[in-house]
Amino acid sequence: MGTIDRYAYRSALRNVNAQEKFWFAILTMIICVAGRSVLVSGAVFLLNGYLTVAKGGLSLKKYGKLLTIPLVFLVLGTLTVWVNLGDTPMDAFALPLGNLYLTGSVDGIRQMAKLFCIVMASVSCLYFLSLNTPMTDIIFVLEKIHIPRLVIELMMLIYRFAFILFSTASSIMTAQQARLGNRNLAVSVRSFGKMGAGLFVKALKKSDALYISMESRLYEGRLRVLHKVCPAKKGRIAAVGVLELALILCTALEKGYLKL
Amino acid sequence: MRRHERAEGTESSQKKKGAVISAEGLSFTYEGGERKALDGVTFSIERGQRIAFIGANGSGKSTLFLCMNGILRPDEGEIMLSGEPVSYTRKGLKQLRSSVGIVFQDPDTQLFLADVREEISFGILNQEVPEKEAARAVDQMIERLDIGSFVSQPTHALSGGQKKLVSIADILVMDPELVILDEPAAALDPLHSRRVREIVEEMSGRGITVVISTHDMDFAYEWADQVFLMGEGKIRKTGTPQEVFSDRRSLEQSCLKTPTVLEIYRTLTEKFPALGDAEAPRSLAELEALIRSL
Repeated sequence: MGTIDRYAYRSALRNVNAQEKFWFAILTMIICVAGRSVLVSGAVFLLNGYLTVAKGGLSLKKYGKLLTIPLVFLVLGTLTVWVNLGDTPMDAFALPLGNLYLTGSVDGIRQMAKLFCIVMASVSCLYFLSLNTPMTDIIFVLEKIHIPRLVIELMMLIYRFAFILFSTASSIMTAQQARLGNRNLAVSVRSFGKMGAGLFVKALKKSDALYISMESRLYEGRLRVLHKVCPAKKGRIAAVGVLELALILCTALEKGYLKL
Repeated sequence: MRRHERAEGTESSQKKKGAVISAEGLSFTYEGGERKALDGVTFSIERGQRIAFIGANGSGKSTLFLCMNGILRPDEGEIMLSGEPVSYTRKGLKQLRSSVGIVFQDPDTQLFLADVREEISFGILNQEVPEKEAARAVDQMIERLDIGSFVSQPTHALSGGQKKLVSIADILVMDPELVILDEPAAALDPLHSRRVREIVEEMSGRGITVVISTHDMDFAYEWADQVFLMGEGKIRKTGTPQEVFSDRRSLEQSCLKTPTVLEIYRTLTEKFPALGDAEAPRSLAELEALIRSL
């Protein structure tokens, strides 16, 4: 889980104002999902790839590898949209299963392809955000748009402690392996359970110690911190605005809401 | 000028001398605990001194530190900050915790934010320092401790030593009069323990009272002005390092060893009785000089 996080901190776009990146990603994603235009989706997918790889400095290979993660879910998800179980065979293919057919239509392929494009474009928007913006910056943007403080503070703590939890878990597992705790499946399963229990106890102790250290620094129920904000640039904001308008326009043209 | 002094005005000049913190007859038992974690502890720490707390694990050092910061409230006894009894009201605790800072042993239980700058700003903002001033103080602290090279990395990507430096910055930015470091050198590589040592020297140079708990007798012997030897919730012995470490019985009782330099010096004095007149060397360098002079 540390991978995306590491890339975000190393990105050349890291010091671009987080709100700009956030709104660019979110608005573009909304246009893709709401507009359902294949052409626009394709353009957005390429644009995000360009921004992350060429501007952000992530290697194309790593970016491609990351894109394969949602691909598995996407293929499984869209296949179920296409393939139906019914009593009438459809035009693309039909496998008889007793009285019923496992079947799909040609139109279904088109729908599937469309869905695929839209989803990949949306995913690329979120990837653009998370690969170029450290989590703390994203949380800060959420705070700016008035997400409740409680949620923000929870996010801050969870983000920090997820890493402590993982490192604690992995050190327990290493300690178990060093003493043959995974010599066969049954023992592995038992070790894993014990690791969970140990982790819980450790987490409880850590949270106690944490609270003490926060209290010693005058914590009184509200997390107040200084956040370094990278300055926004008018030119970039304008560019994002123009781009979003262009995407909306393209969508409208393709859908025939607008005619030239 | 120090912030709290500015706030308190002229009063501070009178408080310059004397005990920064003292306690009388502190006793504390943890909930469900069988024995007293602190048992009638009385002490006084003079302003600007370097204090080493030594004692076995479970001797009550950490409990005492938590009392000194107002996290734990003693069952009996009283803590005095600059001669005045600590009141356990919101205001009183704020004053105590602003004056006495603790750098905890494990940075992972102290650093709770993923962004280093945010982490350092937490304490000073809780002191209700205006944001602009706090931001300046945080930047100054980053420069002062020379940690700028990794400030832009997330906390979880830092090494143990780097985390330690951040956890010290956390406390120093609050401008305390007294800083407690709970086993600061634990699990540090030589480079970072030297850095911590330098920072401690720098703190002393600024007039900050420094309290360190340590299992490193050589360090305590060389560094401290006063040594507090704790055992079973009591302060067994207080004094200069020479006084405490020459008391073999107390050391043995607490399962502590004599500092190496002192041990070698003793062996030397057996062979060269004339040496006994000079003051015992406190550091390796002093011992070397002594041997060369023979």
